[in-house]
This record gives sequence, structure tokens and C-alpha cells, in this order.
Amino acid sequence: MTLDLSRRSFLKLAGAGVAATSLGAMGFGEAEAAVAAHVRPFKLTMTTETRNTCPYCSVACGVIIYSEGDLRKGETADIVHIEGDVDHPTNRGTLCPKGAALKNFVKSPTRLQYPMLRKPGSGTFERISWEDALDRIARLMKDDRDANLVTANAAGVPVNRWTTVGMLAASATTNETAWATFKFAKGLGIVGFDNQARV
Amino acid sequence: MSSSFIQPDPSMIGRISKAPFALTPDPGKLFKERVARLEILAKDAHLGPYLTFLAGIARIQGELASSLSALEPVPVDQVERARENAMPPIDRAAIVQSQDCRRTLLRFLEAVGALEMPPTASQALAQLREADEETMDWMIDNVLADDLPVESLAHHLFVAAAIQVHAARLAATLDANGLVPVRVGVCPACGGKPVASIVVGVQGVEGARYGCCSCCSTMWNEVRIKCLACGSTKGVGYRAVETGTDEATVKAEVCDSCHSWVKILYQNKNPSLEAVADDVASLGLDLLMKDTEYKRAGFNPFLVGY
Repeated sequence: MTLDLSRRSFLKLAGAGVAATSLGAMGFGEAEAAVAAHVRPFKLTMTTETRNTCPYCSVACGVIIYSEGDLRKGETADIVHIEGDVDHPTNRGTLCPKGAALKNFVKSPTRLQYPMLRKPGSGTFERISWEDALDRIARLMKDDRDANLVTANAAGVPVNRWTTVGMLAASATTNETAWATFKFAKGLGIVGFDNQARV
Repeated sequence: MSSSFIQPDPSMIGRISKAPFALTPDPGKLFKERVARLEILAKDAHLGPYLTFLAGIARIQGELASSLSALEPVPVDQVERARENAMPPIDRAAIVQSQDCRRTLLRFLEAVGALEMPPTASQALAQLREADEETMDWMIDNVLADDLPVESLAHHLFVAAAIQVHAARLAATLDANGLVPVRVGVCPACGGKPVASIVVGVQGVEGARYGCCSCCSTMWNEVRIKCLACGSTKGVGYRAVETGTDEATVKAEVCDSCHSWVKILYQNKNPSLEAVADDVASLGLDLLMKDTEYKRAGFNPFLVGY
């Protein structure tokens, strides 16, 4: 698309003496100067509007997230409002009560932001690293699968059944993610498995 | 048989309607609302005199729009041809030749003389009234190209105001449902540039964004968070004059792809906003934006040069 590099840009550079604005040309230069003087001490605030998808359920409603500050300009951004995206074909701007309360979800003090571990017998959660969490999950899965995997059914036909572990996957995913998740679970033999499509 | 005025309205239950693509103007109503808004905004101490003058212009525009005899609608086959090729049905080149347009312009120049205005403006008006046909053609041509020469902005402002009346009346003859998207940031009725875009608060389409044509005043749906100058959705941000605790309802939608900006008015937050009136009244934003890397891409014949 062409950019409007009109001659007025050049005149602005040339500067002196030419009334290069509608107000100046019409003789309202004084009003223009008054606005300029008035607005000079003010700053420009930066805000952003960002499209995203509601994380709650498989309907995957479009949302617009309003924040103060612009990350792209090296500022910190703070979410001030979240509303339905009118341009989104699924929800056309509407949200269910949970979706409408998304900002509180984002700002919730109890929101899970990193892996937490509650050891057996302990009453509290403690923060652990992703590395430790994944190692621990893998170790426990391996031990349990080695101990409990069913390799043949009653008729002696070979099967891959791991019935002592269940898996609940997320809803706000793409088809491809859901496919990969399914392959992962069924490859291991997990029987109790759901790609949670509703909350 | 008993009857009740309260009837069930099933359409209110779903209420998830698709935003209409285009809204053609009602010229009488359009200019009347603009006058009302400008008169309120004119109470501003700084820009008051100019806004009062523009209210006078809009009043004359409104009077002309309602008193002129009805226009010949845009021919059906022309609308159909435009539709098939995704082009605007109003032929701007034909407006230059149009006798109706010329009559509107002459009536406007006659009426506008009664307005109070600074000497430079009345001088421009006097010159305009004596301009020969060729000069008139040239000026109408410039206005329809959305390109006003800097040396004669005052003259072109009057011509543009008259063309707005003609173009809005022409657009009013179109069926809004028959309009198709031409290109991002281009009016689907006349191919004009937007003054600004408005996030509307109308029930059923709350939060939808419409571009407002600077020429024919048609409004057309544009996806939010998208640059109206280049169509990019990457690197779009918003700037506003700081207002303390209140959220700004007039912002600059800036684009890092093409480094331009267009005003966006949040009518869903402030229902009184009017595209042309509030574009001029928010001159302070333009002045602050002048010092940024971005260049104004919104077009308004009453606010050229920022």
C-alpha cells in the first residue's frame, strides 16, 4: 500500500513563513498557537491492545487485552482490561461469565505461575525448577509404568495398557497439539485420558 | 382480547449479530449532529473560534443537504460493475464533471459568505467566488484526489466542504448491503481516505470499529488493531495525551510497519464523539504526535498539515 508522502511533509521541513496548516491558512493561527501552548507540558501515554484466545474452554473465544505501557518500546506493560473481540467469528465480542472475569484470573494471587511440589505427607506447596519437576515426573512415571504395565489381556493377546495413571490435557490447544498429546498418552499406554474440551 | 405492548423479542436473546460491513450516511442527520457536537466542543477556550466557524460550515452543509432536490442515484449497472471488481461504485472523476456538484458548490459558496470568519478566510472565499471554470475544475480535482495544495489550503477547505455535501448525498443513494471491501483503509463507497476510525457502542455491534470516510461520510467495518494506512497487524500501538486517571477516548493508532498513525475514537466509551468534529477538537494529540517518528495518515480537509 502506498504511503502518503505528500508535499506538505517537505514544506514542514522548509518551515519558515508558510501557513502549512488549515488553521493557519484560514486565519486561526492564534487558536492553533493557544492549543500548542496548552498541550506542550503534556506527555503521550502508550497503551497496547493485543488479540488473544480465552484459555478456558475449547470454544476458544477471541479476546482483546488492553494494557498500559508498550513492551515493544521497552516499557513494562500492565493489563488494565480484557474484553471479547468483536472481530472474532466464534464469539463476536461476547464472553461467558468466566471469560468476562479473565482479568481477575490473570491477576489472581493464587495463580499458578511455575511448577509447585507438595511432597507426600506435606501440607504445603514449595516452588521447584522446571528441570527438577520434569525429572521427577519422568522418574515417577517410569517407576509406575514398569511396576503396573499390562502387557497381555486375559486371552494372552499383547496389549499396551497402563491403567494406574490418568492424564488430563488442556483445552485451549490447536488440533495439532491435541494430536501430539494423544499420541504421547496412547504411546505410553495411558487408558484414562481426556483432552479436556470443557471446564 | 387483551393485548400487551410488551412483546417477546427473540432476536434480543441471541444478540450475537455480525457487524454490518458498511453504513451509508443520512446527510441531513450527519451534519446536524456535527453542528451539535462542534457547538459543545467550541466552548473550549483555545480552539473555540475555529470550532465555532466549523459549526457554521456544518450548519450550511446540513441546510444544503436537506434543501437540494434529490440526486439521481448511482446507476445500477455501475454499482454492479464496481461490486464485481471490488471497486468503489462512486466514480470520483465523474463528480468533477457533475453539474449537480457544481450547483452544490455555488450554493455553498453563496451561503458561506454570511459566516463570520477571519480576513484571510474571507479573502480566500472572495477569490474563490471569482475563480474561472478551469481553476474550479482544478480545485475540485485536488479535493477528490484527497491532496490539497499547501499554498491554497483555505480555498480548498471551502471546496472540500461543498464536495462533502455532494458526496454524502450521492453515497446516501447507495444500498449499504451492496458495498464490498475495496482495500484496508479505503472507503467502499467512494474510495476516500478515513478521517479517523470509530469504535462504536451501538447495541449488537459494541466494540466494532468503523472507518469514517473524509469525503462521503460512509462508515465501513475494519478489523480492530490493524493499521488503516498499510493494513499491517504487526506493531500496532496506541498513543494518547495523558489525562490523569481517566482513560483517553481519542487515541492515535500507530503502526511500526509503515510509521503512520490514524486517530481512533472510542464512541463505546464516550457516545458524544463525532469523527470530523472530534478529530479537529483533538488537535493537541496531532501536535504531540508531530514530534514522534509517526506521520499522520488520517485525512481531514479541516485539519491539514499535521
